[in-house]
Amino acid sequence: MNEELDSQLSAMFDDELPTEECELLARRLSRDEALKARWGRYAVVGAVIRAERGVRLNAPLAGRVNAAISAEPTLGAAAAAVRSAAHTGVRWWQPLAGAAMAAGVAAASVLWLRAQAPAVPLLSAQRAASTVAVPLLKASTGLMDPSYVTPRAPAVRPMLVPSTQLANYVVAHSMVSSPVAGRNLLSAFISSESPPPAPEDVRVNVAGNAK
Amino acid sequence: MSADASDLSLVRRVQRGDKGAFDALVLKYQHKLVKLVMRYVRNPAEAEDIAQEAFIKAYRALPQFRGDSAFYTWLYRIAINTAKNAVVSRDRSPIEYDLDRHSDESYDMQGRMKDPETPEGLVLTDEIRSTVNAAIDALPEDLRTAIVLRELEGLSYEEIATAMDCPVGTVRSRIFRAREAIDKRLREVFEGGLGRAEELG
Repeated sequence: MNEELDSQLSAMFDDELPTEECELLARRLSRDEALKARWGRYAVVGAVIRAERGVRLNAPLAGRVNAAISAEPTLGAAAAAVRSAAHTGVRWWQPLAGAAMAAGVAAASVLWLRAQAPAVPLLSAQRAASTVAVPLLKASTGLMDPSYVTPRAPAVRPMLVPSTQLANYVVAHSMVSSPVAGRNLLSAFISSESPPPAPEDVRVNVAGNAK
Repeated sequence: MSADASDLSLVRRVQRGDKGAFDALVLKYQHKLVKLVMRYVRNPAEAEDIAQEAFIKAYRALPQFRGDSAFYTWLYRIAINTAKNAVVSRDRSPIEYDLDRHSDESYDMQGRMKDPETPEGLVLTDEIRSTVNAAIDALPEDLRTAIVLRELEGLSYEEIATAMDCPVGTVRSRIFRAREAIDKRLREVFEGGLGRAEELG
């Protein structure tokens, strides 16, 4: 027999073999009867050194247990059944967890939208304030064209309202493109805004660009 | 390297359906378990029956063993409970058998009187014992010290290396060589396989 293998067996018997080597040797040990017999004799040597009096060293115990275990069902199948049961146990709550997550997302969305709702009148108020401010500015400085009102970028909800430059670009583009495409672009732009801009503002802008 | 890695690798194999791996665990622990059970019952044959029952219980419960404790610790608890139940079911009081209170000679006489084993079986046990003892006596000093520190004192290789002032690899080699020398003599007695005693007796 391979001396290195026997040396490993001796170390494994003493729990002094690295885990990876144990895995390999355990596989061989379970199948190789000669190796198993040597393993058993190592146990006898230990029993004699420890002077385990009264213990029969040639007892048929291992053979009897072996015979009894042979009549038992294989554990792999039982373990698989346990794993399967555990897996099934996990499965039943998975749809519930999914539903709970979906409900949570929906609730969070509703709460977020509600939290944003007061911003709409605020935005309108800001727009009104800006349009009111224009004549005041014109009156005080006389620098601005009265036919063109640049909508001021709102301080709140910057994500929902496009930037001023983008608004100007879209309006200008709609004027130079074909009337149908222009309408489409304009309507798309208007519909993408939330809340929709006051019709007066758009008319004023278009009129301003036309000039 | 992790403590109990050897047992755990065998246990995992049994849990995957490899019954041969359980055989290796039985061979390794059968003597320890019988000795343990003999704290509760004096008769070696009865102790073997209880140990057998404990091993079978352990096999059936093995799917639930997760390796949180050492395999032998787990097996130990099963054996103790099995022994206690056996004693209770036979309406006896457990007997704490202190081996140290008896000399080897008086114990041998007591054991022989109660042991239903055949005279051939007793002779074989004695032969095994004397063969191993003779082989140990014949070992060089360093090999004998290493194997005795391991088996009798239960020291780890690292602790033995410290005690003997040598590398761990040397300890592993010495213990292996000691076992090989003893096993060479023992094989002659055990030819035919250990634990299948009916063949031997």
